[in-house]
Amino acid sequence: MLEGLRRVGVHEWEVPVGYVPGMRVAGRFFLSDSLAKTLEPGAIQQLANVATLPGILKNSLAMPDIHWGYGFPIGGVAAFSINEGVISPGGVGFDINCGVRLLSTPLHYRDISGRRDLIDELFRSVPTGVGAKSPLKVSSQSLEGMMVNGARWAVGAGYGVEHDLMRCEEGGFLKTADSHFVSPKAKQRGIPQGGTLGSGNHFLELQVVQEIFDPDAAKAFGLASGQICCMIHCGSRGLGHQVCTDHLKILEHATKKYHITIPDRQLACAPVTSPEGKAYFGAMAASANYAWANRQIITHTTRQVLSKMFGIGYEDMPLIYDVAHNVAKIEEHTLDGKVSKVCVHRKGATRAFGPGSRDLPADLISIGQPVIIPGSMGTSSYVLCGTQVAMDRTFGSTCHGAGRVMSRTQAKKNLNGREIAANLLKEGIIVRAHSENAIADEAPGVYKPSDEVVQVVHEVGISRLVARLSPLGVIKG
Amino acid sequence: MSFEEISHTADVKIHASAPTLEALFSETFRALMQVMYGAWRGGSVIRNIRIESTDTESLLADFLSEVLFVSEVESLVFSDARIRIDGLYLNAELIGESFDPVRHSGGTEVKGISYSGLEILHDANGYKVDIIFDV
Repeated sequence: MLEGLRRVGVHEWEVPVGYVPGMRVAGRFFLSDSLAKTLEPGAIQQLANVATLPGILKNSLAMPDIHWGYGFPIGGVAAFSINEGVISPGGVGFDINCGVRLLSTPLHYRDISGRRDLIDELFRSVPTGVGAKSPLKVSSQSLEGMMVNGARWAVGAGYGVEHDLMRCEEGGFLKTADSHFVSPKAKQRGIPQGGTLGSGNHFLELQVVQEIFDPDAAKAFGLASGQICCMIHCGSRGLGHQVCTDHLKILEHATKKYHITIPDRQLACAPVTSPEGKAYFGAMAASANYAWANRQIITHTTRQVLSKMFGIGYEDMPLIYDVAHNVAKIEEHTLDGKVSKVCVHRKGATRAFGPGSRDLPADLISIGQPVIIPGSMGTSSYVLCGTQVAMDRTFGSTCHGAGRVMSRTQAKKNLNGREIAANLLKEGIIVRAHSENAIADEAPGVYKPSDEVVQVVHEVGISRLVARLSPLGVIKG
Repeated sequence: MSFEEISHTADVKIHASAPTLEALFSETFRALMQVMYGAWRGGSVIRNIRIESTDTESLLADFLSEVLFVSEVESLVFSDARIRIDGLYLNAELIGESFDPVRHSGGTEVKGISYSGLEILHDANGYKVDIIFDV
């Protein structure tokens, strides 16, 4: 382990106050000894930097998929007091509400094994990759609907069913959205991209439920062994990217105006209650809603393809759940025995609310929130369940994925996209992408093993293993 | 005058160096286009952009963010930029062509230009910078 860090539990480490100047609270992160071998000093520096921000509560936290990002580390979680704390785009990132959802189907492994035509059809139907445009004609009125009502707008427009909304974090839209703070440039980027997947680590993957760890939770979520599911991972596209770019500039001025000292320009921030803080919050929430609408539209396209090819009903493919990975939200949490509203930032982390949480639908309230953890290409994904331990220790948060260990330069140098695709095919996994680089960039070896990451959160208790899903076919940008 | 991609786990980190500030901006611009659209040169479509900023690092980040914006909304892939910098003002003439999925799909989308660790260094040999693109 890096020097200056203190072990406080089997999988728990402390970054003491003083690790970087100006820390107001200690940092805490969760990591196994074997995952610690790839921990980057830059990621811990970023975790410590977050601890210098005004109004931070308890600890600057990081999940076991922690790695070096910009502003916050990836895997970073921090909550701030509403009255004394700040909000920062550095705690959310450019891809606002990059998130993931899992769709169930009545299909079984034997129905789709080796069906390249299905992967081809999904690749044709869901726009992916750089420069991809949506076949939808999104009007400015529809765009407004997407920003204000998120997945709710999409369901109203015919891209889903009411039940989908109950299975989304926050019901698929943040009520705090204010599209007035979304610039015309951001809106201009949002219009042609509704229903597009994007590139990089975004994907759509067909998976089979391979292993059930918690039969009761799996049953409540709607998962059964051998069942085919579809995982969709994408975010707010150019609209969200532009909102982050625009508001970073505004918040840079605000940081100086409110005399806040920050150790990294990417941590530009403003008091939550300031006009600049509220403007970012409104625009960020509008972008998060756009992302929820976007994932809902892609869900609709996927259901149409599966309906057409397998003759199954649209309503026979219920949504298991949808979670945000990059977001700042006002949530209620218990601090020193008192319930208070706080501003939680999750940057590459997932909400993992435990049983009894008010945001859960009635049929899941005794179980806890489904947590969807995508694996890297060719490796297992997981469904977990939120816990009371997460509520007590991490502001109801857990990991979001596997976490990169190999840089993109190394990946391109060492790995060949064509070979990787051929090897995956031998394992029965079909990959479609626009370029070989896109495959090499995101190959299984560039990520920490997702199995180890979820094992840590399970053992720490900030979420509980429910099911493991194996990939069968993936489309990438 | 050159740019190279250096090792960064999550994102794309570019190291660029050049004898003048304008040339340095041009190198990071070429790096951005290469990351997004692969190695490719050509075209005759021209777009002009004008940027004003509060410091040189912001001028660079704002310039590249504007290139991202124009490239995305107009579906243009740029190959060259003629840049003039006067204090904290920048004028650039971007030269390129329409996005073609067959030739321009070799890259990855850049989501934003990060300020993290962004510092332009100047010595007797010229200018250099490390800049992170979020992908």
